[in-house]
Amino acid sequence: MRNSGAVLILTFIAILTLQAAGVSPPGKPRLTSCRSPEKETFTCWWEPGGDGGLPTTYALYYHLENSETVYECPDYRTAGENSCFFNKNDTSLWVNYNITVVASNALGKNISDPVEVDVVYIVQPNTPEHVTAVVVHDEQGPFVRVSWEKPRTADTRSGWITLLYQLRVKQEKDKEWEEYNAGMQKYYNVFSLHPDKEYMVQVRCKPDHGFWSEWTQTTYVKMPDYITRERSLWIMITIFFVFIVVILTWTLNVKRNSVKLCLLPAVPGPKIKGFDKQLLKSGKSEEVFNTLVIQGFPPTTDYDNLLVEYLEVYDNEEQELVQDGKDLSEDCMKSKSPSDIDSGRGSCDSHTLLLEKCMDGREGSGSNQHQYSQHGETRWASTESSESQDPEPGSPESANGRGKTWPVVFPSPQPQPHHHYPVGAAKPAYHSVPEILNHLSPHAMSSNYHQLNHQDILQQERRFSKPACRHSQSYNQFNLDGIDTPAPGVAPSPSLEYVEVQRVNPENMLLLRPLSDPNREPEGSDCTREDYSKVKEVTSNNILLLQRDMSHQCVDDYSQADQCTTQQPPHPCKPAVHQSNSGMPQEAIRVMGNGYVDSTVLMPSY
Amino acid sequence: FGLSLPAVAVLLVALLCLDPHGRVGSAPICAHGPSGCHIPSLADLFDRVIQHSARMHSLSNDLHSEFEQYFLPSKNHIGKIYRKCHTSNILTPNGKDNAQKLAREELTEVILKLLMAWRDPLFQLHQSMAHQQDFNSFSSNKALEMGDMAHELRKGVEKVAEKMRVLGMLGNSVTGLSAAEAMLPLSDSGEAMSDYELLYCFRRDSNKVQNYLKILKCRIVPEHDC
Repeated sequence: MRNSGAVLILTFIAILTLQAAGVSPPGKPRLTSCRSPEKETFTCWWEPGGDGGLPTTYALYYHLENSETVYECPDYRTAGENSCFFNKNDTSLWVNYNITVVASNALGKNISDPVEVDVVYIVQPNTPEHVTAVVVHDEQGPFVRVSWEKPRTADTRSGWITLLYQLRVKQEKDKEWEEYNAGMQKYYNVFSLHPDKEYMVQVRCKPDHGFWSEWTQTTYVKMPDYITRERSLWIMITIFFVFIVVILTWTLNVKRNSVKLCLLPAVPGPKIKGFDKQLLKSGKSEEVFNTLVIQGFPPTTDYDNLLVEYLEVYDNEEQELVQDGKDLSEDCMKSKSPSDIDSGRGSCDSHTLLLEKCMDGREGSGSNQHQYSQHGETRWASTESSESQDPEPGSPESANGRGKTWPVVFPSPQPQPHHHYPVGAAKPAYHSVPEILNHLSPHAMSSNYHQLNHQDILQQERRFSKPACRHSQSYNQFNLDGIDTPAPGVAPSPSLEYVEVQRVNPENMLLLRPLSDPNREPEGSDCTREDYSKVKEVTSNNILLLQRDMSHQCVDDYSQADQCTTQQPPHPCKPAVHQSNSGMPQEAIRVMGNGYVDSTVLMPSY
Repeated sequence: FGLSLPAVAVLLVALLCLDPHGRVGSAPICAHGPSGCHIPSLADLFDRVIQHSARMHSLSNDLHSEFEQYFLPSKNHIGKIYRKCHTSNILTPNGKDNAQKLAREELTEVILKLLMAWRDPLFQLHQSMAHQQDFNSFSSNKALEMGDMAHELRKGVEKVAEKMRVLGMLGNSVTGLSAAEAMLPLSDSGEAMSDYELLYCFRRDSNKVQNYLKILKCRIVPEHDC
């Protein structure tokens, strides 16, 4: 007990003395790594921990798992300093090695920590060998083919070890490498390298379970200078498109007007007469719209256009009854339409009583048919029937509301001459005629048919002969039965002729006379009269006040009394109907130049 | 006499069944020879089993490193005691020379023995991993897959051996194939091995299998990759 204590103290003092002298036992070594290049041998390296100032020796000891036998490293030289190399005979796979390193010097030794090693998992092959990089010229462009060989020591042929390869490429100036995995093959084609550049290539390998080898030495390869097909294609495409664009632009420029027209069709502006666009834009709408206002619209003064020479009245219903077109001339029966429109029609068709072609020299026909001018007869009849009782002129309603027609005579069948007598007369004459006719010709077919029996008229004429006025009158014959002989002294009027009412005899008969009657008396002062009578005024009762020339006789049997009275005709004027001394209406009537009253005043304003 | 419709149908079906010509048989797909379908060659079979074993080994590697990473932080901790793997009884060549010295039949037998020995332990491993809370489901699925792979690989190697025997490459001395018995993963002390130990041992054995298969392949069909 005492001895051991003394020994300890002495050892302690010795160590301290030694340390003071600068020597010590070695430091603890450390195994750094163990590697096997081909899975058949392996090497372990350690680092010394410090020699302690004295020469130190290192020894590596190992034992296998589940075995207590300790072996020492068989080879300290092959692998270099501080290494231990295990050859094939000493290497066992799938067995754990427990390795320690012992450092020892004169003062002591030191043991490193043990390390468990299974050789299978520490395989790190050598670098591949004979790396070559060759430029291969292909039709698609050149590329680099890198090829190498396996590390010499690795036995892949027997399948003992399987190596996977990897290569990397970069230019000298690049920072990053481009890595490619080559698998188990020993070559690789590198594409997409830039022309006229130098590249660095390196290769390494790895076993299927193990560590990567070191990179090989750099292999340099230079790409040739070439234009890629892709780039040349793009250049061509670009040029082509630029060309197309230039052509299009030039074409558009040349045709810019038509293009503008096509893309932006002209918008029709307002073409209102008197419409000022600028005014509208400026925003003064009142001024703009004022220009649109036409003064005097609706027109109230200009009646020139509206003057109708002959106003026509229709009675649509009874028209068909009257007409019988079979044996009548076509001309006369041109249109039976009840409308009032006389446009586009021949004179035969017109509603006026001017029947030009319808007149023959003939008189009478076998038929009892009357041709009657389209319009008025029935009208006449109806009005007559409705107003027959009315002696007064009454209000000559026109069925159509338009105006009054003054059908005086009605054309007979074609052989008979037709004479139209313009009637500027007052209504009484209008009204009285059918009475006359009815009276005269009791054998008239119907009320629709009226005839002015020439003979009767003649008789009447003789009866009421006017001594002073010797006028040969030609009367129209409208004898249904046809009168062969024309009125004495009356040549059948061959053509268009106006007939005028000479006078109205007391029995309210219209005495007609063709205007072109050769037997017409030269103007006896008595009998000369105007062809037309001028309407002086229209009374409030819608009566026309006719005006007569002072020098002329009064044929105004039908005229107003006052006119007669004023003019003092030599023979008594027989006012047909109505004597009115009533004051003339003070209305302003526009008298046309030819003596016609502008009948538009009669129109109600629409 | 009138037959009802179901009765008629039944009769028809019965007739069809009884009629030998009405029976449906199966014909082999490759009845018309090699042109009809592609019969895998021995090289193809080898490639398949080698790929399979590679996948199996990588799975075991992942599981082992996962285990080490999360449950055994210090890699070189002292006191890590490895019990003997239960397959250490099987004599396996531990070097290239030794492996090349083995005959094909023996090599094939070793492979099959190893695979057979791991059938039950792998199942057990999966079971214990699944029950433990420490392992996530991903790991336990890996263990399950690993077990299936081992099973498939064994079947594949048996087929390869069959093919080799048919081709006359293998002698008839292979007797161990049918006699491989399942071995219980018991250590010498009789205790059950832990999961980590199982993983450790299986990782090594799968590597052995892969390596042996490669050697076998390059010895028998050294076309490519050798």
